[in-house]
Amino acid sequence: MTDVMALARERTQLFRDVIDGNIPKRVPIFVSFSIEFAIQYAGKNLMEAQWDTGQLEEIFDQICRDFYSDLLPVNAFRFPSFYRLLGARNFVMSSNGFLQHPEVEGLLQEEYDDFIASPYNCIIEKILPRIYTELDTDASTKALALAKAFKAFHDEMGTAIMIYGRLNQKYGYGDVNFFAGFTEAPFDFISDQLRGFKGISTDIRRVPDKVEAAVEAATPLMIKAGMQPFPSKYNATFIPLHMAPFMRTKDFERFYWPTFKKLVEALAEAGHPSNLFVEHDWMRYLDYLYELPENTIMRFEYGDPKLVKEKLGKKHIIAGFYPVSLLKTGTKQQCIDKAKELLDILAPGGRYYFDFDKVPITLDSVNVENARAVLEYVAANANY
Amino acid sequence: MLDMQVLTQAVGDLDEPKVLGMLKEFVAANPGSEEAAAVVNACQQGMAIVGDLFDAKEYFVGDLIFAGELLNAAIDILKPVIGGESTAKVGKIVLGTVEGDLHDIGKNIFKSMSEAAGFEVIDLGIDVPAGTFVEKVKEIKPEIVGMSGVLTLALDSMKKTVDALKEAGLRDGVKVIIGGNPVTEEACRAIGADAFTTNAAEGVKICQGWVK
Repeated sequence: MTDVMALARERTQLFRDVIDGNIPKRVPIFVSFSIEFAIQYAGKNLMEAQWDTGQLEEIFDQICRDFYSDLLPVNAFRFPSFYRLLGARNFVMSSNGFLQHPEVEGLLQEEYDDFIASPYNCIIEKILPRIYTELDTDASTKALALAKAFKAFHDEMGTAIMIYGRLNQKYGYGDVNFFAGFTEAPFDFISDQLRGFKGISTDIRRVPDKVEAAVEAATPLMIKAGMQPFPSKYNATFIPLHMAPFMRTKDFERFYWPTFKKLVEALAEAGHPSNLFVEHDWMRYLDYLYELPENTIMRFEYGDPKLVKEKLGKKHIIAGFYPVSLLKTGTKQQCIDKAKELLDILAPGGRYYFDFDKVPITLDSVNVENARAVLEYVAANANY
Repeated sequence: MLDMQVLTQAVGDLDEPKVLGMLKEFVAANPGSEEAAAVVNACQQGMAIVGDLFDAKEYFVGDLIFAGELLNAAIDILKPVIGGESTAKVGKIVLGTVEGDLHDIGKNIFKSMSEAAGFEVIDLGIDVPAGTFVEKVKEIKPEIVGMSGVLTLALDSMKKTVDALKEAGLRDGVKVIIGGNPVTEEACRAIGADAFTTNAAEGVKICQGWVK
């Protein structure tokens, strides 16, 4: 067995131990960097490299080479080509080459009843043409536009997956996949794609019963979307959480939580653990998160790591909390001290892997030296 | 006659049916513009309650957004009795999400809250180049320039915008406030802004302080 294969095995074992509830040899590390960060780090042109995805291997390779992680530290899956072919309004590149999600209204408030009666038909007939302007046309032109976009999607994803495979082999990354599926909490789906932040915030007051019914109606689709090709306790479906911290607790209890819980439970029953990005501050909701199926992966952005460890640490798998902002503003020693502090709180008893609180999206959002130093510190010192 | 305190409280409670019901009744009685101004003032005070409840973590961002919508609906009802330019503006703000950033939720919250506080807001939209800010400041001559952004890259664009205002000789004539997730005191200093905030209600208070 080559050294790289042995390394991959060892790294796989670190994560399997975390998932199996065993104490691993060392705290595993899984950080990721955005495609934009990687392109800037490699000194390439942001727009060119996102369109000409063949360039990405060399670009991602530099991240793998320079930043320690036990799993592949890059994972791009939104490429401008297919969004452009669809005339997407929900993912748009800004003037300086950053693909972003502007507010969209895929569903009008007066159309809730259509969505509730048949979410799938409503998505096909009303919502897609509104979000994707190239689909707002006659049937045959629409079919062609969709075919082109899917061709581009499969080409881009094919290229990306081949690159990821080669980098996994070259660098001996562990063989667990926390992005093996992708879905959204039903309320987030309704908010992000159908009604917008503004729309949903008014709807829960003006038409609360309809919102509740729509979220229910979306749930089977969200469950289906989150199913992975094969069940495995070592792979997870990624669910980035969005709206809950921006709602009152009583609104969360009514509109957000019941169907989100149903989603995570249904995925777990089918053998697919969930990997939650717990965006913003969820400290109000820790007792709810506790109720989710055992071994749900939760990467936190803000909040109190002590409280999270105490309330969730024996049942779930915790990550995150390391402030990317400190990597920009702190000295190297301060950055390492912060890592120590978090390890002391979160590592005892296992069920923890090291990650930043968010993905650094631009090169200048961190001091690269600090980022490297922290990752190397954890890799060398976080032994059990 | 409408009970101003009840109205203020209803706005603070974000009790839309009650607020709109009271205002419709008020407008139906054909009030004079002085009374109408008092009602607008009562609504504005209700928005101040909303800001306080946000600080107290009883309201969250979604509630602020709804508060803006509620206020728009209220003003729509009151328009016929307020009269065209009868309400004096306390100042002008040229506002935009800076170049490279497409996020506008925070900007829009700040916009509706500052309009509620009596400012005239000229909203330049999203992904606004420095040059557009400069042109508008020349044209409008506002007291305040507000720049918003969510991504860390927005900080660079904010700096570029301030530099462009300096180059055009406009910087000294305006106060500059920056808002959004990535802004910090350090960033504020580096950018050369006069104030920063991650809290729209606080931002409005800062602006009020400037035009007193």
